[in-house]
Amino acid sequence: MKQRLTALILLCALLTGCAAAGKGEQPLTATVLAMDTVMNFTLYGGGMGEEQLRQALSGAEDTLRQLDTALTAQGAEGEAAALNAADGAWTAVPQSGALLKQTLELAELTGGALDPTAYAAVKAWGFADGNYTVPNREELDALKAAIDYARVEVSQDGAQARLAPEQQLDFGATAKGYAGDLLRRQLEQGGITSALLDLGQSSIAAVGSKPDGSPWRIGIQDPAADSGVYLGVLELSGRSMGTSGSYQRYFEQDGVRYCHIIDPATASPARSGLAGVTVVADSCLLCDGLSTALFVMGLEEGVRFWRENSSLGFDVIFITDAGEIFVTSGLKDSFSLADREEREVQVLE
Amino acid sequence: MSRSAKGIAALLVLLLAGSAAFLLLRPKGEGQVARITLNGKVVQEIDLSRVEQPYTLTLEGPGGFSNTITVEKGRICVSKAGCPDQICVHQGYISDGTTPIVCLPNKLIIEIIGGGSGLDAATG
Amino acid sequence: MTQRRAEGPHRVVQLALLTAIALTIFMAEAQLPPLVPIQGVKLGLANIVTVYAVFVLGPRDALLILSARVFLGAVFSGQMMTLLYSAGGGLLAWAVMAGLNRILTVKQLWLASPLAAVFHNLGQLLVAAGVMKSWAVMAFLPWLLISGVVTGLFTGLCAQFLIARLERISRGKDPGTKED
Repeated sequence: MKQRLTALILLCALLTGCAAAGKGEQPLTATVLAMDTVMNFTLYGGGMGEEQLRQALSGAEDTLRQLDTALTAQGAEGEAAALNAADGAWTAVPQSGALLKQTLELAELTGGALDPTAYAAVKAWGFADGNYTVPNREELDALKAAIDYARVEVSQDGAQARLAPEQQLDFGATAKGYAGDLLRRQLEQGGITSALLDLGQSSIAAVGSKPDGSPWRIGIQDPAADSGVYLGVLELSGRSMGTSGSYQRYFEQDGVRYCHIIDPATASPARSGLAGVTVVADSCLLCDGLSTALFVMGLEEGVRFWRENSSLGFDVIFITDAGEIFVTSGLKDSFSLADREEREVQVLE
Repeated sequence: MSRSAKGIAALLVLLLAGSAAFLLLRPKGEGQVARITLNGKVVQEIDLSRVEQPYTLTLEGPGGFSNTITVEKGRICVSKAGCPDQICVHQGYISDGTTPIVCLPNKLIIEIIGGGSGLDAATG
Repeated sequence: MTQRRAEGPHRVVQLALLTAIALTIFMAEAQLPPLVPIQGVKLGLANIVTVYAVFVLGPRDALLILSARVFLGAVFSGQMMTLLYSAGGGLLAWAVMAGLNRILTVKQLWLASPLAAVFHNLGQLLVAAGVMKSWAVMAFLPWLLISGVVTGLFTGLCAQFLIARLERISRGKDPGTKED
């Protein structure tokens, strides 16, 4: 009897040991509310001490909050808000000057498909405060005239900027990407070699790969299905990704769906035939801005843009309203469909 | 007791201890993906940790009636069913991979495959 | 009665009596709340009769009793699924007991019973997996193994105790009975 009892105890001990051993390194995680969304950061310290790891994380959180306050178009301290209220006067943009310049460059590169001054329309349609309305013809014409990135001026040193009096601007399309790049660099300088920054799901930046060397696995939401249902997985290592989709924010009126991504040319929600666009590149800012721009462009123009700008080093996943999935050749090996998916991925060269 | 009787006793103790240890010490899965199987075919996999708004979905099964599944952040349950026993409904929510929800008459299984697809993040 | 296989008409009575006992236990346990959330899976308390029968009457008679109990149980409870589970579980348990017939004696009923119960539950799970066309139900195996050992031990000890008592009665240990 005693022998058997001993055996039983040994067995339990063995199983406990196995369970504990299987755990591996635990990451430090944090959930932060910023930029109007929920962000999740995952940091692995590697060999570094816990204190150092914690400091890296809180440093990242501080930077994020600072940026959030500085960039917002809605809070009193936001530089975008200041620009919008300045009625055409020169305004100081110490924190957002660099971002503004880069955003305007992207706007030019994409032929205006990305345009930060489209914020006027974002507000008019009610996406800023939730009071959704469909503007009438006159309002839309006025908006179309006001939306023009070329009329935004930035001083040479990037310290000041001004809009035309009737313009309104925000950093909605590039703020998270900008934050992603900033935080990523900050973490790398702090010695972090493995981290994942989920900035509200529409922007994700990776520092390296997971501690065991495997890439981060990112689920790609199926635009046509409920939240949490993925049509595939993207493997990410040391790069960033940005997603724009009509399913992210929208309202319905009289049976028509209006999404939050404004087409600068029409001052109305974009209807390009695309339901979702995901851009993968080294720069999170590029991903963020391009995903919006390509969504507005539509599949054909978007693919053309990709082919003509290969020097930028980015790749795209296009999902059309019809549910077709297109992937540019650079993602051939890192994107895989979910098992139960019966659709096929079409690779674009 | 004869040798074989001792052997059987030992086997039983092993089974008992093993099952208990397995249940108590099994490490929790990393992810929370709910896999819904109907009549042997996987019809959907939902990452419960990324569900923001609760929603329901209804499936018609080979039993001739439907099961209404409620999906929430971190948990899932069968909220309504047309089966006579209602065992699946009474089971309530599951939030980890310990036990699946089973509706036998409709050949429906909802199981949480902890970290099955091992997603670290997802686009939204 | 407890340790001998009766002959002739006595045997029919013996078989019928055991079948009735098994059936009663079966119907009674159906009133208990379900063990696992799969419709039709039972605790398997009636299995003790099968175990007893294998050791005292032999595997063939035990199979007769089992078949009768499974069939009648399904008829009375009105569920086809019950028949499948009882049959699957009961047969597997019976097979294992038949195999152990040489090794164990009726004095070790309390030991054979939990083993039979474990295989009974395993049998039920295998049937469930077949019906659902998925191995997902095997997640319930740890629960069923534990309950098998526990309930099997319980019924086994009860039966062992009962047999010992009946033995004493039939030997006339209690006052007022006819001396053998």
